[in-house]
Amino acid sequence: MDISSWFDDVRRMNKRQLYYQILNFGMIISSALMIWKGLMVVTGSESPIVVVLSGSMEPAFYRGDLLFLTNYEADPIHVGDIVVFKVEGRDIPIVHRVLKLHERDSDRNESEPPQQHLKFLTKGDNNQVDDRGLYAKGQMWLRRKDVVGRARGYLPYVGIVTILMNDYPKFKYLLLASLGIFVLLNREAN
Amino acid sequence: NRSSDLVKVDKWDGAKVKNALDDAAKKVLKEMGYVETHGVTDTRLAICTVACLLSVLALVYDFFLPFPKSKYILAFCSVGYFFLMSILTLYTMFKEKNYIYWGKQNATGKDSTPKFWALRSTLRRFEHDYSLTIELRRGKSGRTFEAEVTKSVGSWLDEDGILHEDVFRRCVKELHSQVTKKAKDD
Repeated sequence: MDISSWFDDVRRMNKRQLYYQILNFGMIISSALMIWKGLMVVTGSESPIVVVLSGSMEPAFYRGDLLFLTNYEADPIHVGDIVVFKVEGRDIPIVHRVLKLHERDSDRNESEPPQQHLKFLTKGDNNQVDDRGLYAKGQMWLRRKDVVGRARGYLPYVGIVTILMNDYPKFKYLLLASLGIFVLLNREAN
Repeated sequence: NRSSDLVKVDKWDGAKVKNALDDAAKKVLKEMGYVETHGVTDTRLAICTVACLLSVLALVYDFFLPFPKSKYILAFCSVGYFFLMSILTLYTMFKEKNYIYWGKQNATGKDSTPKFWALRSTLRRFEHDYSLTIELRRGKSGRTFEAEVTKSVGSWLDEDGILHEDVFRRCVKELHSQVTKKAKDD
């Protein structure tokens, strides 16, 4: 493996071509980033695509499935809906079904967006108990602001790559480094 | 040719072969004293830079003022980015095309108009015929004269992928003479 030959293209580049190589790399990253941020705006969710990390929703969703979410205020959440939520203070999104909905009309505040006053209880289809054990200490219910979105569509298996990259970080760095090196060192034809 | 100066490429890699031939052709024009002009290339680089800056803006803004507060800036950056990408595509498709060089020959004593030179080249994927076209324009709004050569890359590259620059340069210089003659005879 002649590593010095990888740099042949770069050695023969002038300043502008070198700058374009860097820009090219930047544009690939920017395209992915802009698609992601664009999806955030369009779906209203801070995490428009999530990977199912556990088997708690089998047989509906399996570990490794990719879910597409929307988080529109105008769509009310009902009992039976599958929601993705984050427990306050923890990063990991959880995909479970709404079991109970607790509403007290006197709690409702007209100036707030709809449903902010509601309280939800969730449970994974494949779990024995409801999610109270997963919520923050002393928390008995979820609020609308904890919900990241509702599942609108899904792709099976595709998320396995994300799970692999999280379980084996070295694989993730190797993959990203290889892609980066390939883009930076390869000169496209004019 | 000192052996360290020899240009060696993977003869089966079309992109690298084209780059090597293009670079050698540009070298010939450079040695004739023409000055390469970078206006078109710089415009492309500027479009790409602004696009990347938009995405950096989105990243930084969202980091300090998380979604949903950053919604409008994110929307602006996203739409702006893809708009610039379309502009970039149009620009490379209709303005840059297959040009590899733009240059200017300053006016010499007896000839008062500056001359503008350009090179265009094509090497299709998985094909071995390389086309090189040289353009000459007298003054900013004069007529454009062209001369073209299409030959297999095997005419200049040997079995080991070494580019025989002396043979290629003769080819380019021949093109240069052809187009200069066409312009003079006009």
